[in-house]
Amino acid sequence: MLDNEKIIELQDLKKETLLLKNQGYRYITMSCVDLGDSFDLIYHFDKAYEIYNMRFSVAKGTIVPSLSDVYFCAMLTENELKDLFGLEFSGLVLDCGGNLLITDEVGAAPMTKQYVVKAKESE
Amino acid sequence: MAKKTILPFGPQHPVLPEPIQLQLVMEDEIVVEAIPAIGYVHRGLEKLTETKAIAENIFVVERICGICSFMHALCYCQGIESLMNITVPDRSRFLRVIWGELHRLHSHHLWLGLLADAFGFESLFMQCWRNREMVMDIMEMTAGSRVIISTNALGGVRRDIDSDQQKFILNSLNKLQEELDNIKRVFSDDYTVNKRLVDVAVISKEDAHELGAVGPVMRASGLSFDYRTTGYAAYNELDFEPIVEQSGDCYARMMVRLRECYQSIDIIRQAFAKLPEGPIASPVKGFPSGEIATRVEQPRGEVLYYIKANGTNHLDRLRVRTPTFANIPALLKMVKGLTLADIPIAILSIDPCISCTER
Amino acid sequence: MNIQIIAATILLAPVIGGLIAGIDRIITARMQHRVGPPLLQPFYDVLKLLGKENIAVTNDQSLYAVLYLVFNVITLVMFVLQMDLLLILFMLLLAVASLVLGAMSANSPFSKIGAQRELIAILAYEPILISSVVGMYFVTGSFSISRILQIDRMLFIDLPLLFIAFTYVLTIKLRKSPFDFSTSHHGHQELVKGLTIEYSGPSLAMIEIAHWYETVLLLLFAGLFFANNLYVAVAAIAICYFAEILVDNIAARLTWQIMLKSTWIPGLLIAVVNMVWVYIKYHV
Repeated sequence: MLDNEKIIELQDLKKETLLLKNQGYRYITMSCVDLGDSFDLIYHFDKAYEIYNMRFSVAKGTIVPSLSDVYFCAMLTENELKDLFGLEFSGLVLDCGGNLLITDEVGAAPMTKQYVVKAKESE
Repeated sequence: MAKKTILPFGPQHPVLPEPIQLQLVMEDEIVVEAIPAIGYVHRGLEKLTETKAIAENIFVVERICGICSFMHALCYCQGIESLMNITVPDRSRFLRVIWGELHRLHSHHLWLGLLADAFGFESLFMQCWRNREMVMDIMEMTAGSRVIISTNALGGVRRDIDSDQQKFILNSLNKLQEELDNIKRVFSDDYTVNKRLVDVAVISKEDAHELGAVGPVMRASGLSFDYRTTGYAAYNELDFEPIVEQSGDCYARMMVRLRECYQSIDIIRQAFAKLPEGPIASPVKGFPSGEIATRVEQPRGEVLYYIKANGTNHLDRLRVRTPTFANIPALLKMVKGLTLADIPIAILSIDPCISCTER
Repeated sequence: MNIQIIAATILLAPVIGGLIAGIDRIITARMQHRVGPPLLQPFYDVLKLLGKENIAVTNDQSLYAVLYLVFNVITLVMFVLQMDLLLILFMLLLAVASLVLGAMSANSPFSKIGAQRELIAILAYEPILISSVVGMYFVTGSFSISRILQIDRMLFIDLPLLFIAFTYVLTIKLRKSPFDFSTSHHGHQELVKGLTIEYSGPSLAMIEIAHWYETVLLLLFAGLFFANNLYVAVAAIAICYFAEILVDNIAARLTWQIMLKSTWIPGLLIAVVNMVWVYIKYHV
């Protein structure tokens, strides 16, 4: 649990963000943690030196609404999460198509938990 | 009907310190739009931190960027120390401030030189970098290496500064301040420099806030925000104010960084005056668990570290949001409507540290 | 006699031009508190370039580089043979036009913009060059150098303002800050190397040698203002070139809009004033 945190549902995301924008919060960034079968998304905002976090979980494969029409700067972070975690965002203002940071040879979603299966020698 | 050409600015361009590509859509010599492409130095460092031990991560995180490296390590150590409820000794807090401000000095001098080179003033560029050598000599003397100084440790610092070194540092800073006076005259008053910097790439106060700009870019547009005033390390015992300018153009950003150089010298002097005796590190036992989001003011702005630990010697997640990442949307807004000659100056005025952006 | 003079010019001028370029780099370095390269560094650079592969975007590019060199050589030879000044200016224009055409033919956006900027630079300095020549005509009654050299009066005394305007545009021709935006000796401007960006190997070497010929020509033209006393002329040339190096080191690079404004409004104005004054003095 982070200080000054609020847990929300996916469908309230846009509404909560608009509220924050009207109150004058500055967008900092979004963090994503891979919890196995779901992602934990934390959105960080700042007002007068105090950080405010919004947290929600999405199952893998869910499409998250994009914040880039509310905060244009979110576009860059959302593209990065798309590259690194394979998250899909709907309504991205400038979509780099998964090529912002990584190239094809890196493979998809490198930041997700990767499992290496060792082949048994006997069989 | 003007014809549109696309000029590929970067990734290989002598004026850019690090590779970033801006595809400039131009009509004659006016830029209509800029399409960014990054990813040339992505090293996957966040993934690497999940595989290394907690103490080893300090060295990984330092190497995210060479110019802001001390502050990355500082932010990480502060985050882990908060999670483990360790209080660092007073002497180490002040030493962290001193090295942090020395880092800020060297970063701003590097940037001033690059800016002078961007508008064609080579002798000023050489002069700024020669002054920077004084700071590099101090770092080499106190920490053993010039750029990535690896003096942060969990629980404090790894090296001490004795009184001989302290005298040398204060002497060097006096000389540096005199040299800064010379350079300041050229940067702020020279006719040709003013012609290239004033009213170029203006960002208004509202735009800077909405686009999430941080650091000198934000402070040059009139927003007073300097995370050091919240008092991490020993900043709550030192006396300083955020440096703010109002005009939001390249000249304002340059003046903010130039005045921050003076402020850094002043802070180092204050820190040395108040430096207490005592140990330089607290003992660290056990492993952290929990989550925390910490911030630190780097030379380029505010950096955010989100750390999630689970009680073992490996972190669950380390997320870094560097200041240049936050300033790139502001850059995309700035370059619209500029002439080609102003593009390098506009790009440099956000102090782009692309290795930080891409990690 | 003529053949010997022509041969001497063609062989000696690049040597002198290269030495001047070498001295330029050493003085610039000392002004920046650096040591600087050895004196013969420009020759080493050109020799190295000549030994490299010629990678060109189009074949026309290399042709234009050769034309640039040939026209510059012809212009210098014409000057040394003391021919007509207007014709010399015209040949100089042809030389720069070949360079511009070469940059345009290379199809790269950087070199296209560099070529456009060079055309604007021509627009800035050509009127003042022509005014200088016309001013000399008003004083001496002839465009031919041989007649100008026979006058026993120092032209500078009659044409001081024209000389000042000439040194102003010399900065543009010699590609020094504040006016080095079509291409410059340092690669750190926004167009990287601008005009010459797509040239490499022997073509670039030819452009470099042509620039040496052009430097010698321009400095000789500056000396023409002091022609009746050889020592004064050489001293004037030296001081002029040193001033160019100094200005290069104390000024940032400006934009072409500022260059155009400052060469036309004060520059052309003082040139016209000087021309009117000598016209009244000698023909009325």
